[in-house]
Amino acid sequence: MDKENFLKRYSCDVVANNFSNAGKGSSDIKKNLKLLNIDPAIIRRIAIVSYEAEINLVIHSLGGKLHCDIYEHKIIIISEDIGPGIPNVELAMTEGYSTASSSVREFGFGAGMGLPNMKKWSDDFNITTKKTGTEISMTINI
Amino acid sequence: MDFSILLDSDKCRGCTNCMKKCPTQAIRIKNEKAVIDKNKCIYCGECIKACPYNAYSPYEVNKNDFVETKFSIAIPSTALYGQFPKGTEICNIQNSILKLGFDYVYDESYAAELTSKAIARKISESEGVKPIISTNCPAIVRLIKIRYLSLLDNLITVESPMEIAARLAKHNAHENFDVCSEDIKIYYISPCPAEMLSITNPIGTKKSSIDSVIPLNSIYGDIYREVCKNTKLCNSTPSIKGIKWAIAGGQSETINVSSYISVYGIENIIDILEEIENGKLHDIDYVELSVCTEGCVGGIFNVENPFIAKRNIDYIIKNTKETFNAGISDEVFNDLYEKNFFDIEIIKEDTNKRKLTLAEAVERMERIEQITALLPGLDCGSCGSPTCRAYAEDICDGHADLYGCILLKANKKRLNSEEL
Ligand code: SF4
Ligand code: SF4
Repeated sequence: MDKENFLKRYSCDVVANNFSNAGKGSSDIKKNLKLLNIDPAIIRRIAIVSYEAEINLVIHSLGGKLHCDIYEHKIIIISEDIGPGIPNVELAMTEGYSTASSSVREFGFGAGMGLPNMKKWSDDFNITTKKTGTEISMTINI
Repeated sequence: MDFSILLDSDKCRGCTNCMKKCPTQAIRIKNEKAVIDKNKCIYCGECIKACPYNAYSPYEVNKNDFVETKFSIAIPSTALYGQFPKGTEICNIQNSILKLGFDYVYDESYAAELTSKAIARKISESEGVKPIISTNCPAIVRLIKIRYLSLLDNLITVESPMEIAARLAKHNAHENFDVCSEDIKIYYISPCPAEMLSITNPIGTKKSSIDSVIPLNSIYGDIYREVCKNTKLCNSTPSIKGIKWAIAGGQSETINVSSYISVYGIENIIDILEEIENGKLHDIDYVELSVCTEGCVGGIFNVENPFIAKRNIDYIIKNTKETFNAGISDEVFNDLYEKNFFDIEIIKEDTNKRKLTLAEAVERMERIEQITALLPGLDCGSCGSPTCRAYAEDICDGHADLYGCILLKANKKRLNSEEL
């Protein structure tokens, strides 16, 4: 990691299963990036990936954190959780595949577009997962 | 005149009510009086509604101006038709406007119907960007230009009925009455401060075809008195589809899109814009947004309660035969459409903001956060800024100083006295 160009980190906690607050974290990230005058097209992409990541944390994880790391020429959105891990990443990366329960789907979430969408809008997408936690990092170049 | 909201500083008591309600934090209290930052104001009128002392007013119009104009055309907003008792004939209202001294009254509903047609066509031709957002409410377009820049491409590139009506009215008068265009002046009777501003500062690049805007409530009494005198029946043939534009949802119904949402109220609208920015709602074709309650019938220069005005419009819709009489055939419409007659170009605002590098912007942000941490976080507003955070920004940018915060000042005094 190139420490020298690192400028700032915004972080927020995401609580599992709290649908009323889902989207608050990514909304705050977006607000801050707007205040920094980041290009609107870049903000739009960050909004989408951070929102999807946050919703994933709410639906699938036991809780976690969302970070937004600002570097001179890129922004990295990192989602980290405390489990339970994704059993089959390849399958989860398939469009349309979803493990969301039907009650979750009634909220309109969990259509299985989360991970593929996050990858689609990132310039660089990395995921590591084990039972004790998943970390996803999405880089968007500016 | 380029500013449609005036403050009577004798009436203003610096109470902070307006500042707290302003959705873009455009208001500060300086020397106990409200001050609006033009660059941030979207002309939504929330401040006018919030002021308990009626300190705000739309700009004064010279009321007899149109009498002296060689050829004056009045275009009443379709919202006006909802301001009279249920059952009032539209042509009676129009005749009454004529009696005030206008040479011609052009019905906006025709233009609104054509606008719907143009929008429907644009939507059918558009590919990619979804959902498409209506440009009818100028306050919303301004909001998007200030805060939701990434959604600029979602805005439909069709002018609002008000502008289309003015273009058509000028054209018609020129053809039918043999007056030269320079002698024609268009007066739009409007329920809305944002529309008033659109005349001098149109949201698209082109110059507005409207010459002057009359706030609806400033002329309502004169029209009303005439309406009462004039009770004879007449056959008015407004465009029912067009009249629907006065109420929330009417626009989408007329455009006939399969999947739409219609939202009013500034907080609700901000929520929806956030959702769109997050990539949701791409399964929706059209998003109709209006700042005012129930749409333009809720515009703040109206006189009737929005819900009652909506009922009045509903009554007109139910009791008028569905006709379309804009005097424009499909052929002519197509021709106009091809010639971009309906088009609006949404330009990106050229903010004079000094461009900071990202590193500088981050540094500024950190200073703001540091200052915010010093403040009590009560958002009391007595410093003259709407929130502690906004106050910290003001301090950071040199527009305020730290000891404008009364609590901090009191603490400092206490600390000083403890030291003694
Ligand atoms: S019109 Fe709206 S945006 Fe402008 S100052 Fe008033 S409340 Fe704020
Ligand atoms: S609401 Fe605003 S304009 Fe009205 S008195 Fe209070 S500070 Fe002044």
